[in-house]
Amino acid sequence: MANKEMTKEMAQKQALYQKKVNKRKLSGSLEYTTARLGWQVTLALGVYFLFNALTKGGVWFAVAGVYLAGFALDFIATQRIIKEVTGDAGEISATTRKLGWLMLPFVFVGDFFMFIAGAMLIKKEKNMEYQLSVYSLLVTIFILVVSALNLFKEYVADTFWLGMGLYGLYAVLNLVIMSAVNKYTFGKKPDKKFLPYAYICIAGLALGNVFSFLLGIIALGKYYNKNEEVSVEWIDVIRRLFRNYMSCIGMFIVIFLLSVSIASVLTFDYDIAISNNFSVRLAAPSLMYPFGCDQFGRCVFTRIIFGARISLLVGMISTLAPCIVGGMLGAVAAYYGGKVDNIIMRILDVLNAVPSILLAIAVIAAFGTSTTNLILALSIGGIPGYARTMRAQVMGVANQEFVEAAKACGAKDGTIIFRHIIPNSLAPIIVRITMGMGSAVLSTSSLSYLGIGVEAHVPEWGNILKAGSTFLETNPYIAIFPGLAIIIIVLAFNYFGDGLRDALDPKLK
Amino acid sequence: MSIKKIKDTFARMYRNSTYRLWLWVLGFFTVLVTFIKYKGMKGKDKFASIKADLRKELEATTLQDELFAAALMQVRKKNEYFNKTVSEAETEKQAKEIAVKNFETILHDKAKIAAEMQGVNEVTMAACFAELIDNKAFLLFSLVLSFPMYIVMVLFQNPISKYATDRMVMMIFVLFGVVWLVFTILYISPMDPALNILGQTATQEQVDQFNRIYGLDQPYLTQLLRQFRNLITLDLGNSYQGNERIIGALANKFPITLEVTFWSMVVSLGIAIPAGIISAIKQYSSFDYIAMFFALLGLSIPNFWLGLMLILSLSIKTGILPATYQPANNLTLIMPAIVLGTGMSASVARMTRSSMLEVKNSDYILTARAKGLPENKVVLKHILGNAMIPIVTTIGAQFGGMLGGSSVTEKVFNINGIGSYIVERQYIPDIPVVLAGVVYISFVVSIMNLVVDILYAVIDPRIKSRMKNY
Repeated sequence: MANKEMTKEMAQKQALYQKKVNKRKLSGSLEYTTARLGWQVTLALGVYFLFNALTKGGVWFAVAGVYLAGFALDFIATQRIIKEVTGDAGEISATTRKLGWLMLPFVFVGDFFMFIAGAMLIKKEKNMEYQLSVYSLLVTIFILVVSALNLFKEYVADTFWLGMGLYGLYAVLNLVIMSAVNKYTFGKKPDKKFLPYAYICIAGLALGNVFSFLLGIIALGKYYNKNEEVSVEWIDVIRRLFRNYMSCIGMFIVIFLLSVSIASVLTFDYDIAISNNFSVRLAAPSLMYPFGCDQFGRCVFTRIIFGARISLLVGMISTLAPCIVGGMLGAVAAYYGGKVDNIIMRILDVLNAVPSILLAIAVIAAFGTSTTNLILALSIGGIPGYARTMRAQVMGVANQEFVEAAKACGAKDGTIIFRHIIPNSLAPIIVRITMGMGSAVLSTSSLSYLGIGVEAHVPEWGNILKAGSTFLETNPYIAIFPGLAIIIIVLAFNYFGDGLRDALDPKLK
Repeated sequence: MSIKKIKDTFARMYRNSTYRLWLWVLGFFTVLVTFIKYKGMKGKDKFASIKADLRKELEATTLQDELFAAALMQVRKKNEYFNKTVSEAETEKQAKEIAVKNFETILHDKAKIAAEMQGVNEVTMAACFAELIDNKAFLLFSLVLSFPMYIVMVLFQNPISKYATDRMVMMIFVLFGVVWLVFTILYISPMDPALNILGQTATQEQVDQFNRIYGLDQPYLTQLLRQFRNLITLDLGNSYQGNERIIGALANKFPITLEVTFWSMVVSLGIAIPAGIISAIKQYSSFDYIAMFFALLGLSIPNFWLGLMLILSLSIKTGILPATYQPANNLTLIMPAIVLGTGMSASVARMTRSSMLEVKNSDYILTARAKGLPENKVVLKHILGNAMIPIVTTIGAQFGGMLGGSSVTEKVFNINGIGSYIVERQYIPDIPVVLAGVVYISFVVSIMNLVVDILYAVIDPRIKSRMKNY
């Protein structure tokens, strides 16, 4: 009797242990993590579209059908992955991998989660370069898809076909690069033949495609790394960053918005965003106007696309400017200590005592409403935060041996601060910058909503929302979509920042 | 407070150069009398005679020459190492300085030892003060004339109140700094307040009269000094539009803001702390993932959008709650509290989780478990208790920020609070109101920071014991 109970208990423990092992195996499998999130998101969107279809009917049924089919496909694939990874073989079979090909086309209905899951599934050996090339291709395709929505409009911009051609060409180039990545980059060092591709990748930065830029400089960095045994530190950081799927998604959204604000110069018509067209005043969402029209008949979708440019611009400048000023002040204060430290920090205490949004209100009250003043106002408020972070970090670094060694060698103070101390205390600042961009976007739109941010006629997300809030009762979509855009970009920055924090964590090195 | 404690506190404060200044300012007459006595006694007491004897004794020995030789060697070696060529005279001058300094130190130390053996104390300010204060008449005289000094001394008895006093003084300086900063920003503004208020059609006489009434025709320094005076008298001046007293207007709006803030605190803490605790204890569980996703979402949602969506779904479509705030109707507080509470609970939940995770794996938690404490006691008392500092910091910062009025949320729900008051007036722009609003909010934020810092000592025994030595 007792023996039986013992065996039962043993079996229970065994099962628990097996469960833990399986969990670890699955969380280590990139195919599983991407496919799981793929079916979850696709299901949620599919159900939402189905509800939409029940009230509005028509084309929504088709969209819901496509999404639910995608969900079914991805769900089956996920179940097979779970079975095969935790099974005896421990490897995903070739048939399951073939399912990945079916998942790729869903990118054309906007489901990039399925695309990533598919791309990760079809290939057995995946390195960071392969992932980068997938994301780079995804960004290009997504721009093509979003720009193609303009085809439903009455007319397109003069440069539309030029832009589409350019991005189409770049998509083809991306595919070529992808095959080159598969051929040449799986060794310790990329093959010499990959170098021309690497330069093409770097040129992709002109189109805002940071993924392809990263791919290029990583290849070059690895190629020109003299000591093969020692890995390059910044490449390691990126590799760790790519382990966290959510932060990859965040990075993808930020980079997509960055590239789309560059692409919109060619493929979108600024006129549709700003000129009045009263024949379509307050039009409901349709294929021609995906997010409807506002009270002046301006396409909300186009306005949101052009709004990304301003949000990103204001976000970046008003984060980087205080970071440079505050970072230097903090570094100088911490390095010299004593009186210098005291004076700088007391002045910054004054700035710190005023909440940044209030300081912005005061600055704008003094100098009037304009984008430049907004950037100035947000920048001033950000200085003390960066100075404090930098100061705390530099205080830790300044006492280390290598700084003492530099001093003993007779290096000048400027050299020590800029060459030795600052590069070694950047990690928390980088994380802060990423998060700060998200909150700068939030502050910008809040101030615009109050009517004291960006000028009222400029298509900025807060401005669109402010206009939409007047028509909340009759035309709620004008306020809903810009709000969603703000949430998505801030969420993306936050996830990206979280991932960066983990990737830069010295404990994980 | 006993006389002995007063003496000790005086000695302690006089040692620190900043507090010495305080003593001079706050208790000028007492310190002056003490100083005169000190100057009179110095050099005439027993210690001085012991020192003089000792000096003669040491000067007779070769000590001075030895010190000079050692110093000369030191300076030469130094110059040699750094490849510096210094003239012989300069080297000797430097060596002489070092030697004299060393000699004086040795002499002073030896004299002190000798004096202690004979039971004689060195004359210091503290000793003079101790002697004077034993005199009842002097004590009465100084209590009357320099009572502020004694108040500060009482505050300095307790480390926590000493810390609070220090911080309060710092805060007053910061507030003056804030007035200077904001006033300067508004002063260099290219806009003309008179034209903004009176309209573009105002005649030159009207403009001049306006400027005269509000003192805008005076130079920068005079205006700045008037702002400082306003801050000291807590007056804050009158607004341009309506010419109302700003302090009264702020006081009228404060209860509304306080009410909204209180309820959003209740909402956010009610959600955030339990969610953070469960997420930390069951790390990597589905609950953890979902809760942290919502926390990040809460951080990313703009307040005004969430407010609009709540109005859309709860007021316009279903009509459950009224869309705008009415002071008499408590139901109208629900939506603003939810909107403000969401953003706050997001950051508090994240902070609770991360700081509890840091504590969770410490050795003392293992000890607590090993000695058989029930799980809920381990979690609530030991893990949460030790993770409290960052959580309290976050809550304090958010609370202070909200007390300053959340202009955006107030605008969405049409709440007549401090935030919307300042924003409304900045459209004009009503410079005194903006200035006063910023000063008021900075004051509230600074006070909240101070309260949080003092709370640290109350909730964390580690900080309390460190403060004892403060």
